[in-house]
Amino acid sequence: MSVLELKNVNKTFGKGHKKVEALKSTSFTAEKGEVIAIIGPSGSGKSTFLTIVGGLLSPSEGNVIINGSSLTDLSEKKRSKVRLNEIGFVLQASNLIPFLTVEKQFKLLDKVKKNNMTPEELKVLYEDLGIEDLKNKYPSDLSGGEKQRVAIAKALYSNPSLILADEPTASLDSDRAFEVMALLRNETKNKNTTTIVVTHDTRLIGYCDRVFKMNDGELRLES
Amino acid sequence: MFLAWNEIKKNKLRFILIIGVLMLVSYLVFFLSGLATGLKDLNRESVDKWQADGIILTEESDKSLLQSSMNLDQVKEVNADESAVLGQISAIAREGDKKANIALFGIRKNEFLMPNVVEGKAFSKEKEVVASDALKEEGFKLGDTLELSSSEEKLKIVGFTNNARFNAAPVLYANLETFQEIKFGKGQNSNMEEQINAIVVRGNIKNSVSDKDLEVIEIETFIENLPGYTEQNLTLTFMIYFLFIISSVIVAIFLYVLTVQKISMFGLMKAQGISNLYLAKSVIAQTFILAFLGVAVGFILTLLTGQFLPAAVPVSFDIVTMLLYGIVLIVVAILGAVFSVLTIFKIDPLKAIGG
Ligand SMILES: Nc1ncnc2c1ncn2[C@@H]1O[C@H](COP(=O)(O)OP(=O)(O)OP(=O)(O)O)[C@@H](O)[C@H]1O
Ligand SMILES: [Mg+2]
Repeated sequence: MSVLELKNVNKTFGKGHKKVEALKSTSFTAEKGEVIAIIGPSGSGKSTFLTIVGGLLSPSEGNVIINGSSLTDLSEKKRSKVRLNEIGFVLQASNLIPFLTVEKQFKLLDKVKKNNMTPEELKVLYEDLGIEDLKNKYPSDLSGGEKQRVAIAKALYSNPSLILADEPTASLDSDRAFEVMALLRNETKNKNTTTIVVTHDTRLIGYCDRVFKMNDGELRLES
Repeated sequence: MFLAWNEIKKNKLRFILIIGVLMLVSYLVFFLSGLATGLKDLNRESVDKWQADGIILTEESDKSLLQSSMNLDQVKEVNADESAVLGQISAIAREGDKKANIALFGIRKNEFLMPNVVEGKAFSKEKEVVASDALKEEGFKLGDTLELSSSEEKLKIVGFTNNARFNAAPVLYANLETFQEIKFGKGQNSNMEEQINAIVVRGNIKNSVSDKDLEVIEIETFIENLPGYTEQNLTLTFMIYFLFIISSVIVAIFLYVLTVQKISMFGLMKAQGISNLYLAKSVIAQTFILAFLGVAVGFILTLLTGQFLPAAVPVSFDIVTMLLYGIVLIVVAILGAVFSVLTIFKIDPLKAIGG
């Protein structure tokens, strides 16, 4: 069974002459252990694609199936459960809670969900991402790159089967960016999960198994 | 609780301000309720002291003690578990340049209207009175000789009792003979039938009078008909209710603004799959913490202020009523929070993450 399957999914915003077809009819599957990159110019529909896959945006037509359950058939409540249990988001904007220290960002996940990483695994993750010294800091005291790394740790912490990352390396220098990509790839391979990364940075393509190009809402396999 | 508490810890100043607002509101509510109780007591405490169930007045007196007048022997027609006769006049008492409005109660020493004596002794002969200790605040003391405005007679304070004000006037308790002399003048009483104002009864009051000129009234009804009592009470009760409405609106607006500020953060958590229920619980828990702290501090502050008020301010804090109002304030705040929770339910997680 594929982790993710899109069947003839499309998305249009607006009506009449203001109509924008942000995502043209797309079929797509992602398997376990895969790292997939989606590249493309600004406004081409990458975020639209990712938010539809994440169940945050409903497609105009078609079906999104995650681990066998079709998101379109689920209530918002159930979809939220799927997000909690199956998906790890790394968002374009920071997804940290402003009044929680780094350490407590993870505690919050413990409060709302089981089967997160063990303390030992978390420790390793901290080290891999170089954030072990940030534990007691609030997000407002972190640099953009540090925030991004904590956000990645947070997405991985809940052991999701699908990681969706929108420009995860945007605020990192290239060394860090490579490290983060290597880390995402390792996690994906070790835990046999699936990662979809939206990026502008074509140098990161080397870490990915398949690369798709988005152009005017049309998704096409590059390599 | 986790989110609620951590947020309060991080943004201490903001939450202290909110607790401050809640504290001021509850302080105002508590204080007004204290004032209401105090004013009530001022009117009724001497009547409550009777621990009676009913009072017999003349039909034509229209429930006014002062207007009621009956013969002393009419007490024989009364059929109750316990009964006690009562004569009453109002006057101004004066000694030197001290003066005060008083109510004189003429009673029989062996009947249940006889008050407890907290200082000095009980009256034992004519012209001796046991006075309400409220007079002490006006400077009167044991052994003072009082001139009454309506009489030539002089009365001597031989004892004090507590909680004895009738329609805001401190009460002087004297025997019936003294009462007669004050009311009708010296020597007059010998050729007149002895007059009293009322008979106070305990027990089952339903069939206590057979005389059709007399009517028996429940004590609570009697109190409600004291001059000004109901009007005053209604005024304060309305003020308190309005305060509840206004404060609930203020608190609701506050919590709403607080929630609106955090919309994108709530959206973020919803995007991650944290349920509405969890967020709702956290907001409600936070409101509870804030309201509880605010009300508790307001409560303590009210009691402290009460300690330092001059005796002339008629506040008296009824802890049960205050606790009740406190709970109502907390509930009202939580209802305000429920209003905000509805906003959280409507947040679209997608908007928050700005995909
Ligand atoms: N809510 C919306 N209403 C109307 N149009 C929208 C909406 N969201 C996106 N669009 C449009 O859909 C198209 C695709 O947007 P999308 O955000 O997916 O681009 P993107 O590839 O992620 O760009 P970027 O690289 O700048 O993040 C754009 O033309 C955008 O204007
Ligand atoms: Mg985008």
